Amino acid sequence: MNDELKETAKFIADYAACLTGSGVHTSRILRNSKRIGESLGVTIHMTVLHKSLILTAYNGQNDSFYTEVVDIPELPVNFEYNSELSSLSWKAYDKRLPLDVLWKEYRQIKAKPAMSPYLVLLLSGLANASFCKLFGGDRIAIGIVFLATLAGFFTRQQMQRRHINHFIVFTVSAFVASVCASTTLLFNTASEIAVATSVLFLIPGVPLINGVIDIVEGHTLTGSSRLMHAFLLIVCIAAGLSLSLLLFKSRLL
Amino acid sequence: MIFTDILMDGLPAAIAGVGFGAISHPPKRAFSYIAVLAAVGHAIRFALMNYLSLDIAFASFCAALSIGVLSLWFGRLSYCPMTVLYIPALLPMIPGMYAYRAVFALMMFMHSLHTPEVADTCMRMFFSNAIVAAGTIFLLAVGATIPTFLFPKRAYSITRK
Repeated sequence: MNDELKETAKFIADYAACLTGSGVHTSRILRNSKRIGESLGVTIHMTVLHKSLILTAYNGQNDSFYTEVVDIPELPVNFEYNSELSSLSWKAYDKRLPLDVLWKEYRQIKAKPAMSPYLVLLLSGLANASFCKLFGGDRIAIGIVFLATLAGFFTRQQMQRRHINHFIVFTVSAFVASVCASTTLLFNTASEIAVATSVLFLIPGVPLINGVIDIVEGHTLTGSSRLMHAFLLIVCIAAGLSLSLLLFKSRLL
Repeated sequence: MIFTDILMDGLPAAIAGVGFGAISHPPKRAFSYIAVLAAVGHAIRFALMNYLSLDIAFASFCAALSIGVLSLWFGRLSYCPMTVLYIPALLPMIPGMYAYRAVFALMMFMHSLHTPEVADTCMRMFFSNAIVAAGTIFLLAVGATIPTFLFPKRAYSITRK
């Protein structure tokens, strides 16, 4: 058995699984992985699926193969990994970095601290509030949407920290946010706009757009599974929203 | 007057882009570029829809195309892949009101199964809103991806230092 080939394949498999899990579209994963493979003198062929990926590393010098199947971890979307790991693949290619240096840099990138969850909470509240402004909400609606988003996003963060099923997280968060936004019914303001925008922070925009990119680029299977997953999450948002609409329906009409 | 209107449209879009972007943990250096892209994109769509009276889907496509071209340039400046910059910038353009009305119509449809006329109206409302929402999202993603097909070499080596 060719140990060097095996170690290379293991690194690239881990690298590609991390990229896939953190919301990178398929063609970039393939390009980056092949680039690293090339820098280490092996040819990489791989198939990316939604839950796992299959990779074969081929060394032309001694005509040996190694195949690896890895599960894709469920990571939150992380664009920092996307840019830093892409950068790493070019660095590996240009400077011909050896495998141990690659592992070190890879672990460094993964160990970088994430943004404070409270800052993300605040920013998403502001984002949804300005969304409400874009849709023509007045000041009261904007204020209430801001607070409703804080409540909904906080619910989501707390539930995700406890690793509760995604679909339940989305349904409950959408319900919390839209119930809070329904308090606009007490005021003389654009309640419809407020209720509609309050759940928009949950829209899985990254898988939606990545799915379309994948399909357009010919990775139809991966793209469809991304879209299907995004669609299910949207159904969950709709379910949470409908629940609060049912409660306040007579007054929203 | 037109200028301030466009500006007042771009500003909230920039905040929305940065805020929704923050949920996907972009690198810190990307935030300023995301804000500019989101503002420019949304302002272009606003101008096309209000002054040239284009429909939301085609206006979104043009805006997304401009975001894509700009992200090719901004990506080089910030060493960020194009998707890292343009996906958060596209998020404020997701047609939320249409999606909401589609959900609302579907719910009302289920409630009015015994009154066919109301159910018909709800179904029409559901389909027209759902088609606009889905079509706009599709065109947003396609529009921003086209520059990658036009300039593949440049787009693929954007993070090369």
